[in-house]
Amino acid sequence: MKNNEIELPKITLRSYLNVLFVIANKDWKVYWRYPINALVNILNPLIWLAPIFFLGKAFSQNGEALGFAAYTGSTDYMSFLILSTAISNFTSAVFWGMGYALKNDMDSGVLESNWMTPIPRLLILIGRTLNSLLVTSIISLIMIILASLIFGFRTTGNIWASVLTLIPMLLGLYGFGFGFAALVMIMREANTMVDMGQFLIDLFSGSQFPVTVLPRWLLPVALSIPLTYGYDAVRGWLLNTKTILPIQTEIQLLLVFMVVMIIAGVFVFRKLERRVRSRGTIGQY
Amino acid sequence: MTNLPNVLNLKPNRLLAELNAIRAIVIKQWLHTVRYPTWVLQLLIWPLIFPAAYILTARAFAGPEQIALPVFNAATGTDNYIGYIVIGTLIWMWQNIVLWNVGLSLREEQLRGTLESNWLTPVWRFSLLIGSILVQTVTIFFFIAVTFLEYRFLFQIHFQGNIGLVILAFAVAFPSIYGIGITFASLVLRIKEANSLVHFVRGFVMIFCGITFPISVLPGWMKSVSQWLPQTYVIRAIREITLVGADFNMVKQDLLILLGFGFIWMVIGYFAFTFMDRLSRRSGSIGQY
Repeated sequence: MKNNEIELPKITLRSYLNVLFVIANKDWKVYWRYPINALVNILNPLIWLAPIFFLGKAFSQNGEALGFAAYTGSTDYMSFLILSTAISNFTSAVFWGMGYALKNDMDSGVLESNWMTPIPRLLILIGRTLNSLLVTSIISLIMIILASLIFGFRTTGNIWASVLTLIPMLLGLYGFGFGFAALVMIMREANTMVDMGQFLIDLFSGSQFPVTVLPRWLLPVALSIPLTYGYDAVRGWLLNTKTILPIQTEIQLLLVFMVVMIIAGVFVFRKLERRVRSRGTIGQY
Repeated sequence: MTNLPNVLNLKPNRLLAELNAIRAIVIKQWLHTVRYPTWVLQLLIWPLIFPAAYILTARAFAGPEQIALPVFNAATGTDNYIGYIVIGTLIWMWQNIVLWNVGLSLREEQLRGTLESNWLTPVWRFSLLIGSILVQTVTIFFFIAVTFLEYRFLFQIHFQGNIGLVILAFAVAFPSIYGIGITFASLVLRIKEANSLVHFVRGFVMIFCGITFPISVLPGWMKSVSQWLPQTYVIRAIREITLVGADFNMVKQDLLILLGFGFIWMVIGYFAFTFMDRLSRRSGSIGQY
């Protein structure tokens, strides 16, 4: 080696894994640095469950929600809701966490310098996905434990089958998050879009109720959202509720969703990221 | 060369000067509000979709042939669960908007770095909050009107009762809702974890005030807590007027309690503001964030 040359380390799979670990570790530290925010993330879903819990009581006779059972095949509406809320935490993490991941870096003024590092830019998002998945899983688990103590939560079905069903759904969701993060980066002020977008997706995919209660003209909207089948299949596995389609068909739809969303998310991210670079707005906010 | 006076001639009429300052604050706040056109979208869509989530859940609880509706009627005195939920969630949204907009108005100035310079102007400091409240009142008026109109004409929900009485109920709830907002605005000047605090305060209203359910289904200790929250009374009074057609005498007690709460919250709000103002100035933390 000549004296005036700097030897850069070779890019290997190990160096990529190292990068992923560093990014995920940084996000992990930032997240737990604000313990009150973490506490709010655990308690907030429980707060939102309370009005539904008591609403269910107003419709129940001798503790039995018979109307609900006629739709779902189960009178245990709280287990239905707690499970849906846990899944909904991931939707929220994708919209608010992943969606704002690059925008937050932009606001803190570190995006431009991160973009200059010799690592694939997509890797930055994958690193953030790992942390988001881990943190949201922990938060959801704590939430389920607390909700079980407060409201009661019973599962009679196959836990492993439901976890396996969740995997393609979550991967598809995070694939969507890649494209969405780039969109927020280009729009910069997207609070209303994110807030309403998440609320509507949650609403129409039946995070609080079986989608069969929707008026006929809204049902096609619900059935065109792949998350609807994710919620439905997981509840079907764990609570033995009536599903819209046979569970195997719903899983196949989720697999298609996963592949399409990952490809589309990466494509949109690359396109928009190039556009932001050519406009020179990476450092602006 | 012009000779500068030794004494600056400040407006002799103090009240007029204060009103002028409030007018300037209102214009500034209004420009901030309308600068982001998404506010129109929010005004039209949130009143529709937020209650919808609970309404559809209630529909699931009622069952395909509405078999559980008589149970709900026995608990609430009405079959109209849509109207019932719309009123409860509307009051929750009102308090929520006040917490975000009025409650965080000073904190936002602090984050922008303009609070300290505004604090140094020879204006009654409370005017900064009054300006926010006035703009807020206008937008919330439209918000409430849009909610009733959307559910009346898009979903054919029948609201009955005397409209003057409904306006009176909203008016007597005003001091409580905004008093809580002012107290909150003062606290976050010191505590600073504003977003988390909003979640806790609005969560309290969500759990205890019966936004979607009758208070009678709550356990005893929760019922006791709900009696100390003004939102419980405004929700109950407006539901009685619009869904059962109650007259003034039937809701008089709730309205009087609301007036009492309003007085207490306004006094708490004012003292919290002056206390935090003094504390922040003494510790020099007005400009910190």
